[in-house]
Amino acid sequence: MKGPLAKTAILLVGMYVFLKFILPLFTAPLPASLIFLYLALTFASAMIFYTMSGGGLDEFMGPVGRFLTGSGQAGIAGTARILVFILFPLLVGWQAYTRLAPSDMPPAENRTIHPAPPGEFVGLANPYPRTQENIMMGKGLYAAFCSPCHGANFDGKGPAAVGFNPPPANFSDPGTIAQLQESYLFWRIKKGGVGLPVEAMPWKSAMPRWEVELPDEWIWKIIMGEYDGAGQSPRTWEEEE
Amino acid sequence: MGYKKIFNVALGLTLIVTGVGVSCVFASDPPPEGETGSVAVRLFLTEGAVPADDPNAAVWNTIEPAEFKLAPQVHWPDRIQEVTVKSVNVRGVHNGQDMAILLEYADPSEDAADAAAVEFMVGDKMAHFAHGQEMLQVEGGDVNIWYWKKEHGKATDMTAKGFKTLRPQENQDVSASGFWRDGTWRVVFSRPLQTPDELDVQVTPGEWRNVAFAFWDGEIVDGAVKEKGSQKAVSSWWYIRAEPPPDNSIYGYVVLGIVLAAGFEFFLVRKIRRGNES
Ligand code: HEC
Repeated sequence: MKGPLAKTAILLVGMYVFLKFILPLFTAPLPASLIFLYLALTFASAMIFYTMSGGGLDEFMGPVGRFLTGSGQAGIAGTARILVFILFPLLVGWQAYTRLAPSDMPPAENRTIHPAPPGEFVGLANPYPRTQENIMMGKGLYAAFCSPCHGANFDGKGPAAVGFNPPPANFSDPGTIAQLQESYLFWRIKKGGVGLPVEAMPWKSAMPRWEVELPDEWIWKIIMGEYDGAGQSPRTWEEEE
Repeated sequence: MGYKKIFNVALGLTLIVTGVGVSCVFASDPPPEGETGSVAVRLFLTEGAVPADDPNAAVWNTIEPAEFKLAPQVHWPDRIQEVTVKSVNVRGVHNGQDMAILLEYADPSEDAADAAAVEFMVGDKMAHFAHGQEMLQVEGGDVNIWYWKKEHGKATDMTAKGFKTLRPQENQDVSASGFWRDGTWRVVFSRPLQTPDELDVQVTPGEWRNVAFAFWDGEIVDGAVKEKGSQKAVSSWWYIRAEPPPDNSIYGYVVLGIVLAAGFEFFLVRKIRRGNES
């Protein structure tokens, strides 16, 4: 057992080093899934070759074993066996092809949508009372500054929404502002897309940095108007704990 | 005997699952996200000269365009709420040396101040699509903007890194020409894939880069140009790539896969046969 196992291990390591490090010197690097497929096939072959007693395998496989060895077969079963033997390598070859064929799709993006805010924006409370007057003022400011992107209906479908990737947030969706605290919104509105950390890909966000145009008071009132208009309420501290 | 049998059965199971199952597991990749419009511009590889300066070259008609929607610029002042150019069709070719990009878009009138621009990130640093404006937690890089205006009749190769930093470069490497007919502009930009200028985007076949677009309708309305400066139609970043030359090593890997699978079959059958004989 020991000898064959060591040999198998050496074979696998050698194969891995070859596929992973040596071949890429000459060609494009192989995707990990394909290296795994090749190693799995090598491993399976080596295990059969070294460690298995054929009789046991046949007992286990029974009719499958008879099918594979082709003993006493003729006609349809014989043809099917040949087909299986031809198809399996072709399937593996086809897998290799689809894995390596040049893709026309850009690399997949993993953008973090709700990254952690900077410390100074954690736990701030809206300093303005929720009066009708403040909500109305917030909605008016929202209509002027935010609705071109986020939509008059708070649904992310404003007239300027189409050109942007990622699209403007849809506030009526329970997955956006209903998940967030007011202080988080205060950060996002004040600092905008450019205030995001690297995992949120700030270079892609069209969300303006509103602190250069709007005073804090307006931002807090816009937040009130935004929740009210979208029919959502902010996540509170109690829910957090 | 008992242990050995169990061992063999377990091993047999493992082998069948790995040998056959592995290829099925990997057969299903997640489908690409279904989005409206395109996500990338492909610069197709051609032989011979690229149709630089020719918006009507026959080769353009053989290429499937990528379509990108555009929005009025409302990111910063001066904003605009309604723009003429709503979307752009983009086609591209390269020949390993030079590239050409054709922008095709609807604009009902031909005006001296009509203009179009293509923007790229430069180098490895990420840059914000709005003129490489400053990011607060990430150090950004430059953007390279290729600008064409009807009345200039040529391209201007520009650089920006932040608000109000847009300026023409010392080395002008880009050429452009536009052709208007029946309410449609066709503007072609061209440049070598690589230039010695570190302010320029460098395009390496096979590598994905970022690209964005902007358009101005220069129609005169009430004595003033309708769209100018920051009042324009824009997109944010999308992708662009010059097609790499065909890579034949793929076929080597396909053959390797077939040989390994056939070897697996060979050992399996041989082992069972030996078992049967003994
Ligand atoms: C130019 C278009 C644009 C305008 C105008 C705009 N936004 Fe945004 N906004 C975006 C985009 C795009 C996103 C998504 C990307 C991101 O999170 O930065 C976003 C995201 C947000 C988010 C984060 C939501 C979440 O789930 O994380 C908030 C909150 C927000 N915007 C509020 C506002 C408010 C309030 C205004 C008006 C003062 C406004 N936005 C104006 C484009 C815009």
